[in-house]
Amino acid sequence: MKVHMALPLTVALFAISATTTLAHHSFASEYDADKSVELKGVVTRVEWTNPHARFYVDVKDENGQVTNWNLELASPNVLVRQGWKRTSLQVGDQVTVNAAMAKDGSSMANARTVVLADGRRVFAGSGSTSGNQ
Amino acid sequence: MKTRFVCVGALALLLFAVSLLAQTTPAGQTNPQAPFRAGSPALLGPPTPTGATPRLPNGKPDLAGVWSGGGPVGDLADGLAKGDTIPLLPEAKRVMDARQSKDDPEANCLPTGIPRIAPYPWRIVQTPTHIFFLFEGNIHSYRQIFMDGRKHPDDPDPTWYGHSIGKWEDDTLVVDTVGFNDKFWFDFRGHPHTEKLHTIERYTRTDLGHLENKVTIDDPGAYSRPFTVTFTARLRPNEELMEYICQENNQDVKHLTGPARRP
Repeated sequence: MKVHMALPLTVALFAISATTTLAHHSFASEYDADKSVELKGVVTRVEWTNPHARFYVDVKDENGQVTNWNLELASPNVLVRQGWKRTSLQVGDQVTVNAAMAKDGSSMANARTVVLADGRRVFAGSGSTSGNQ
Repeated sequence: MKTRFVCVGALALLLFAVSLLAQTTPAGQTNPQAPFRAGSPALLGPPTPTGATPRLPNGKPDLAGVWSGGGPVGDLADGLAKGDTIPLLPEAKRVMDARQSKDDPEANCLPTGIPRIAPYPWRIVQTPTHIFFLFEGNIHSYRQIFMDGRKHPDDPDPTWYGHSIGKWEDDTLVVDTVGFNDKFWFDFRGHPHTEKLHTIERYTRTDLGHLENKVTIDDPGAYSRPFTVTFTARLRPNEELMEYICQENNQDVKHLTGPARRP
């Protein structure tokens, strides 16, 4: 049985409204904060690793072509402190991801929110910039 | 009345959040009208506690605890006093202007050096002979400050954190450090330094929840005069450090583009 955590409302509000970035690199050097993308697809892989947790999603375009997107989250430590677990998102999950696209044109993005098919929100506020924010 | 005010505030925040979440587009489409800003949840959490500065049995301030911040992250200039400027020498400015974000040691999972701080928690451990700064990130490393009265070595080998000796001046811990290498950057902007760098950090726990770090940077190789920046760390109560091995899966560097810049 898959276990998904409900995101506490207060954390969601903070994560969404905060403007500072958090990562080990300059967020603005890697992602375009003004270039949002919404991706719908199936999770193919989850990496619960540093400096960023990542997950990969197969997204089918209008012509049926499938692209595997590499989506960056915060570090596992940041996510755990928000209440997430390594099992919060699993291979096979149908997700809708709102993310900031990589500037170099690759199929890579920084996930802002991750919502499951049934509406449950599993990750939000990657806070991935800065500095290793 | 008070309850009603809180409820209205919470509702306003909720509506704000929902309005941001609503700014999405059809699958695969970009929307330049939907600004995205990454949050900083690791620096959030419970409110910073208030109260008197805790003290050791010998009367000195107890600096122990898990802290966030206390040094530059995005831009060293953030810590300047109003009206002050960073006195970059021309050659140092050339070095800084040429720096590319992909070359930032921190992005490459190398240490921050001093006084840069990573946006991750760190812990101070005090013993009679040493004070240790234990860093969760970046990298999973530590500083050691000798409190036994020793002097700096005559010719220390250059290192990322240098050679640090500390002493108390009233309620302020003064940490004097030399022996730096020139590899680390002071911030995401890429403020440089040379092996001539000498830092004097003055740590004052102004109350239970705040630790002020007033650091003087003296590097005649890169700056025309010593200057001082001030940053304040916040206590993270009931927090523990967690493992953070940056080298494990660092995919970012090859995607970093353009000149060094703040986040």
